[in-house]
Amino acid sequence: MNLYSLYLKFFVMSAKASEMSLWERMKPPIDISTNGHLIDSLFHLTTMLILFFFALVCIGLFGFSFLYRKSKHPVALYVHGTSKKHIAIVASIGALVFIMVDMKITGISNRDYMESFAKWPVETSDVVRVQVLGQQWAWNFRYAGKDGIFNTEDDIVTLNDLRLPINRKIVFQVTAKDVIHSFSLPNTRLKTDAMPGRISKMWTELTKTGVYDVVCAQICGTYHYRMQAKMIVYTPEEFENWQNEMGERATHVMEKDTADLYWGWKWVANN
Amino acid sequence: MAFFEQHIHEAPKTFLSKYVFSFDHKVIGKQFLWYGIAFLGIGGMMALMIRWTLAFPGEAFPLIGHFLFPQTNGVVPPDTYAMLFTMHGTIMIFYAITPILIGAFGNFCIPLMIGARDMVFPTLNMLSFWLAVVSAILLLVSLFTPLGAAAGGWVSYPTLSLLIGSPGIGQTLWCLALFILGVSSTMGAVNYIATIITLRAPGMGYFDMPLTIWGLWLTAVLNALFLPVLGAGLLLLTFDRVFGTTFFLAGAAATSGSGDPVLFQHVFWIFGHPEVYILILPAWGIVSDLLSFFARKPAFGARATALSMTSITVLSTVVYGHHMYTTQMSPLLTQSFMMLTMTISIPSAIFFANWLGTLWKGSIRFQTPMLFSLGVVFVFGLGGLTGLYLATVSTDLYLHDTYFVVGHFHYTMAASVLLGGFAATYFWFPKMFGRMLNETLGKIHFWISILGLNGVFMGMMIVGYAGMHRRIYNPFVYEFLEKLIPINTFITWSAILMGFGQLFFVYNFVYSMFKGPVATQNPWEVGTLEWTIPSPAPVHNFDEIPVVKCGPHELGNPNLKGRDFQYQTEELVEV
Repeated sequence: MNLYSLYLKFFVMSAKASEMSLWERMKPPIDISTNGHLIDSLFHLTTMLILFFFALVCIGLFGFSFLYRKSKHPVALYVHGTSKKHIAIVASIGALVFIMVDMKITGISNRDYMESFAKWPVETSDVVRVQVLGQQWAWNFRYAGKDGIFNTEDDIVTLNDLRLPINRKIVFQVTAKDVIHSFSLPNTRLKTDAMPGRISKMWTELTKTGVYDVVCAQICGTYHYRMQAKMIVYTPEEFENWQNEMGERATHVMEKDTADLYWGWKWVANN
Repeated sequence: MAFFEQHIHEAPKTFLSKYVFSFDHKVIGKQFLWYGIAFLGIGGMMALMIRWTLAFPGEAFPLIGHFLFPQTNGVVPPDTYAMLFTMHGTIMIFYAITPILIGAFGNFCIPLMIGARDMVFPTLNMLSFWLAVVSAILLLVSLFTPLGAAAGGWVSYPTLSLLIGSPGIGQTLWCLALFILGVSSTMGAVNYIATIITLRAPGMGYFDMPLTIWGLWLTAVLNALFLPVLGAGLLLLTFDRVFGTTFFLAGAAATSGSGDPVLFQHVFWIFGHPEVYILILPAWGIVSDLLSFFARKPAFGARATALSMTSITVLSTVVYGHHMYTTQMSPLLTQSFMMLTMTISIPSAIFFANWLGTLWKGSIRFQTPMLFSLGVVFVFGLGGLTGLYLATVSTDLYLHDTYFVVGHFHYTMAASVLLGGFAATYFWFPKMFGRMLNETLGKIHFWISILGLNGVFMGMMIVGYAGMHRRIYNPFVYEFLEKLIPINTFITWSAILMGFGQLFFVYNFVYSMFKGPVATQNPWEVGTLEWTIPSPAPVHNFDEIPVVKCGPHELGNPNLKGRDFQYQTEELVEV
């Protein structure tokens, strides 16, 4: 590998880059969930607030550096910043940041978290329940099957293949076999850690069909980067069909003696 | 007032007692400086290998790749990649930044700036350095063990860092190395705290101390309180690995009883969050002082700056939960940690306002230390503000474990601290070695560094927001990350630029140490105590213990005759 081919590669890439604008590249993956926009909009609001305050810092930093450079302003003002006026200005900047930024975004984030992300849906029969088991370096998924009970013969068990319907609430219970993983769906903006010995939860509702990525976000060993599953999002009808088909097949495949397939646990509903 | 009797010891004569096993805080400070700079080089080279892999997956690392990774024709293999980012984090935090900011400048500045002849416990000080050397040897040896060095990230969460995830001896050596380093840093911290409390020159109240000393003092307090917590966690981890206990073991591998891996995260982050302030507080202090010195006016609201740093120190101990939002704590805890984290922005805003207030109506000289200090204001502004995204729980659900986090903490911990360390190096070099660093090379170093590091860390935040998660060997196995190849390439070129810029520093440093222009006693014309003695500082610092009569930032007093600053040993000139 010589420098010339590197050079070529760099410019070939830049040529390809022209097909997509930098702005397009900077965007997060497409949002396919009903709640993802909450995170995106809070991100944008925070960005605006940050830009405002960072602009103030820059105005102070570059403006004062320019105005009060030695050649322009040879004698410094002898002031310690301890007068009542100065203390009031500094204190009000502190208060302004707290009220304008902190209270605002904390309030929004708290509302979103308590009323959406951590508000577990009532588990009626319409809710899709999935058990997720992380292991080095794959994702196992388990659906309860016809009887609605986990860890039985008619469970649908898949490897790195998550299939979900749109327009139905989906609840995941997540754990890991060996080391800590993190079950992350970038397209829904959500992730939750998969920890051995603990069950964590996540819920979402999808809006767009298609094929998306399931990612392990937490370092879990050498092939962490390959711990990738595909999420196929169906319409509710397609999902029913797939479930029926897989359920049939499951009853043929699942035998009592294939013990390693019975990794599921008793589902504890939220309600 | 009763003060410690500080004896004048005879100057050491042999090479060993003068340069190796020295009790002199200035020599120990320099030893820590070499140590830190050496590790900065190693950690930086590791960063370049990481960046190379991300931008050019499957390409051989240039120049030394074939030598380091002969089995793969010079390409960084995935397991080595995990070792690289683990060791990069560990080395940069514990073996580069800590020794430079705290070890080197803490040791060098504290006695000089408070008017003492040495640290209060010189033997402990020497022991602190040599324990750090033992720890470094353990860490470096771990790179050459059969299964390689630790590879579980610098946080080394169990159960990945237990035998099921990392069976090699490297991880055990990592635990022991950090444990010993913790002991070493705690020794240093105890020494700093005691020195600052007992050995301040007569007349020097706490608010007459330079803000550098405030920063180092608060850092020492955090170090003394929280490094033992890390030590406890690491010992338990070592027990799990070596003696078969199950403090942190759960899941399929826990055959007898079961612990909880999340427990380690609590222990780790109780230490880990104060740690980021341990690293940044000295830099804040140094910058607060240097802005005042080079704007030729008193530090604006110095007392408020000191108190804000103190309140951040206190707050930093109760916010660690924001590192663990995705482990699903109870929502009540999540809410509390979010709110507590947010309150940190009040004191931060106050000292930012004070920094800008210091520049306001000053007479600013843009010498190299000042450029680096202004750089800190810029990058810490960015780093601090981007923390807001990660403090609010809902945005953190998306950004957690992405490159956004990496960009954010590099802005705060790497960029700010590094620039602060360089500012300190350029500023105190004359007092350390009696010679001046070259200004032109220093300015080139500054501009290349600031361009490079903004390219790197801003780029990291962008790819993070676009969804690229951390610690992946080849992001482009994911379709939705393929579009990020050009940005990753850009980041890598920025990193190479930044690495290249450091060559100017190394050359400048080595050349100036022997051949630079001889420094006067007070080249920067400031009034703190270290500039009242010759450069380089004599063995026992002060022939007579100075008596302090005014604050450290008395610059620009219009009634001063002949010069625009006054020494701390002079009676304050009335306005």
